[in-house]
Amino acid sequence: MSVGPVQRDDATAEFFDGTAAGRFLLRRCPAGHISEPTVTQCTTCPATDLEWVQAGGGATLVSWAITWSRPTDGDEPRRTILAIGELDEGPWWWTQLSGDVDPEAEALAAGRRMRIAFERADAEHEAVPVFVLD
Amino acid sequence: MIAGLGMTALGKIYGQTSAQFAADAVRLAVADAGIELRDVDGLLTSSGVSGGISIGLQRDLGLTDLRLLSHMQAYGSTAGAMVQVASMAVLSGMANVVACVFADSPLQPERSAGAVYGSWRAPAGWWGMLGASGIIGANPMYALAARRHMERFRTTSEQLGHIAVAQRDWAVFNPAAQLRDPITLADHQASRWIVEPFHLLDCCLVSNGGIAVIVTTADRAGSLAQPPVHVLGWAQSHPGRHMRRDPDFGLVSGAATAGPAALAMAGREVADVDVIELYDCYTFTVLLTLEDYGFCPKGEGGPFVASGGLGPRGKLPLNTGGGQLSGYYMWGMTPLSEAIIQARGHGGARQSAAHDTVLVSGNGGVLEHHSTLVLASQAGAA
Repeated sequence: MSVGPVQRDDATAEFFDGTAAGRFLLRRCPAGHISEPTVTQCTTCPATDLEWVQAGGGATLVSWAITWSRPTDGDEPRRTILAIGELDEGPWWWTQLSGDVDPEAEALAAGRRMRIAFERADAEHEAVPVFVLD
Repeated sequence: MIAGLGMTALGKIYGQTSAQFAADAVRLAVADAGIELRDVDGLLTSSGVSGGISIGLQRDLGLTDLRLLSHMQAYGSTAGAMVQVASMAVLSGMANVVACVFADSPLQPERSAGAVYGSWRAPAGWWGMLGASGIIGANPMYALAARRHMERFRTTSEQLGHIAVAQRDWAVFNPAAQLRDPITLADHQASRWIVEPFHLLDCCLVSNGGIAVIVTTADRAGSLAQPPVHVLGWAQSHPGRHMRRDPDFGLVSGAATAGPAALAMAGREVADVDVIELYDCYTFTVLLTLEDYGFCPKGEGGPFVASGGLGPRGKLPLNTGGGQLSGYYMWGMTPLSEAIIQARGHGGARQSAAHDTVLVSGNGGVLEHHSTLVLASQAGAA
């Protein structure tokens, strides 16, 4: 399964501006704490005046699971690896691994290095962050 | 203490709304307690995935001049939380007889259970992006939690399977259970993947129906129709790190703080627990809660459940009605209802000989919300 369609809303507009430009944006408070992009208050201190900062793109696999989707054209079910990654800046992100990853062939396990990439369902919808195995 | 238990027909029961199930459950609980509806002066309501229940249930039941009325929502920890609030209300004198009810009707004749619980994919915003990433519903989130435990502690799918097999063995003796044909570990391993590492037989049922309990004062419960069930201890834990960086994810849940706190309040220890009724949305939830409550050391839940101690022939009476995996899925009312049945000594062929102290868990969200109750057939030392 590749990523599905998603639209922006007021809360995600700036984040999706970032993904459209190939950037994964995080939140940084005046004290320098980094939080995931979804927050409106710093996850370390109560600060709410957060700025957007670009993530470096590196991440480490925390956990993974395997799901299957059956394409509407009736082909064989397609495997997708779902993953939690710890970004090098600290926050966790939940998304899928890009492509048809064989977990056995890759000896997939926590600690595996990954990097963020972006995919979109179609030109009408937003670019979604995914992980790619290093 | 708990004086009444009402359970509607549970499972693939069609043609009733959640509100109708809820009203039926309260009427059944009132009758079970040997009181009248007009004796109820407090009502706490809780709805499941299909919604449809509100404080409007007061009108449906013709309850007038209530002294406590609220709708509560802490997902799978709600049933335990309702009993806690009701207990505090009767202890404070705010109310005398509080009905706590949960009902749900997610199953429709032409709709698969997966469609019911997986159809909320949001098309926009943060949640829309999560769904677009393929992470839809609870199954993948719990699977990610379980995999982390498996990698950290070498927990295996076969070990999780022992929980499914043992609970099915219990369900054989429960007339209210939806699935009563015994299964083997091989059946568990051969059942299709839902989200790997979860097989189908790692995952709970989906059920229609309603369950209510009546909480009242010790004075009152002692003179009613059923053996009173004392609520000796309670606690909640809401760690609040869902989807954030969380070193405990999949390894430790709120049960690790709520369980010891509830036992301490009750003046009991893990060794005193005669019957355990744990929230079992997945086999993994049972394993993690056993570790967090201290029935085995952290990380040793896999060998612990595989050691042959579970099931009707084992030493540890755990999820004696089949739980949510094989019995019925009424969120936190599943473990609570079976705990009341066991504490009363009304379990019939599945009754635990020792049933003075019954430990009950509720788990909501993705291991985010936990409630614990310590029930007892004797008032005890507390």
